[in-house]
Amino acid sequence: MRNIRTHKVEQLIIAAVAFFWCFLMWFATAAFSPSIAQKFNLTVAQMGILASSALWSAPILRPVAGYLADKIGAPYAFTIILVVTGLMSIASSYATDYKTLFVERAIVAVAGISFVVGIQHVAQWFEEEEMGAAEGLYAGTGNVGAGTGALLLPRIYGTDYSTAFFHLGIVALIIAAVMLLRGVPAKSAERAEMAKKTATLRDTAFVWTRFAAIALMFAYAMSFGLEIGMNAWLPGYYARGFADAIKELGFETISDVQIAAGTFAAVQSFNASLFRPFSGYMSDLWQRKGWTPFPIISKALPYSPRVHWLMFALLSITTTLILLTVAGLSNNVVMSVLILAVFGVTVSFGTGGTFAIVPLMFRERPGTATGFIGGVSCAGGVVYPLIFGYSSNIHMGYAYVAIFMFIPFMLFYAWAMHWDIHPEDHGIGSKEFWLGEKAHMSFEESKD
Amino acid sequence: MGGGSIGRRDDIQYEPWYKWGVLFLYIEMLIAIGVSIYSLYMAFTGKGGFPGKH
Repeated sequence: MRNIRTHKVEQLIIAAVAFFWCFLMWFATAAFSPSIAQKFNLTVAQMGILASSALWSAPILRPVAGYLADKIGAPYAFTIILVVTGLMSIASSYATDYKTLFVERAIVAVAGISFVVGIQHVAQWFEEEEMGAAEGLYAGTGNVGAGTGALLLPRIYGTDYSTAFFHLGIVALIIAAVMLLRGVPAKSAERAEMAKKTATLRDTAFVWTRFAAIALMFAYAMSFGLEIGMNAWLPGYYARGFADAIKELGFETISDVQIAAGTFAAVQSFNASLFRPFSGYMSDLWQRKGWTPFPIISKALPYSPRVHWLMFALLSITTTLILLTVAGLSNNVVMSVLILAVFGVTVSFGTGGTFAIVPLMFRERPGTATGFIGGVSCAGGVVYPLIFGYSSNIHMGYAYVAIFMFIPFMLFYAWAMHWDIHPEDHGIGSKEFWLGEKAHMSFEESKD
Repeated sequence: MGGGSIGRRDDIQYEPWYKWGVLFLYIEMLIAIGVSIYSLYMAFTGKGGFPGKH
């Protein structure tokens, strides 16, 4: 491993900055979609495809990014992502036809996979008792990149998206250079070596078949998957579901209604991002206080209170989702939006709570586990809006998802976390079956 | 299930960075609350949206 004098806070900061910039690039296309649509005369359907293309690569490539982070080290994985997406962002600023722009921006959207790389990096540097706050600060601060892009880019660049894409690409290359110069893969060479050793296809298959990993993937699908699904769904929901109520507030034209509906949606997104570090801190707090209120879930694991905190978060998400249906059916826009603001906070409890557990439970395979849990769960962002959209009543979709998906997910989560010793060992096929001789190698053996 | 409970861990000593991290996350929360209140005020009074103009 490289011999550089550094501190874990420096590693946290450069990872958070890199992730923030990746998220900014990821959602920059959406921030300029009205300008792009106008320039290339896009239809509504084409705009929808452009918007959804930002999410296509996440479920497939996030697991690859996690594997890569374990294999070559997070700083190098980050550098590759920043250079490729940065150069493509610069190239997209010169695109003169829509097809070229679409393909180039779809490649820039790959920047979104960087999330799992940073989670792995922070896990390799921080200690168990501070993992919640450290991962929360990394992920929450980075996530703000999406909202910041929507808020600032159109105000700074107006409709000149080409210049914006060019500048975003240049800064990405600068951050890549800093990452290459200052990034160190882990606190110790042993810790980095352990992650490298476990970055194999057999280890990947092992993680993907663990009940606990699947349960955490469901938990993240209930939080982050729902957050990105709601980002896409909510503006249209308020514009259609509360058309009369919004008109009564004084928003008459379609563009004005879009502003109001977009505002309600943005509040959810902002709260979900900015409360995420607090959720990590709450996970640390529950751990310190030893709070384990729920039945079935183990109370004897070294990190049991964190598992219970996540259960509390999942219950909160499910409850507020049902309340959104209640507010919608009563046609009360004020109540709906206030519940939505609280809903954003509960989502952050879920996102922050999940990744306060993953690095501790899968200490030997942080990147692989993060890639699976943080990647596959993004499919929720595609599935939920479809369910909401196909519900007979526009307000009922939330309740359908809560009752028919989230309650079974929570029951599975509680069951998957009931073992008092190594719940991560239980799954389809034994540890020995998947790992052979490596089955009994543990993190403790390589601990510094 | 079964086994014992891990109980309170009052012996945990955080490193100096931790208190600054907690301060930072409280600032982020305040920003979220501030943006929410301002944006919703603008929307509910018909003055505009996410902080943009009407």
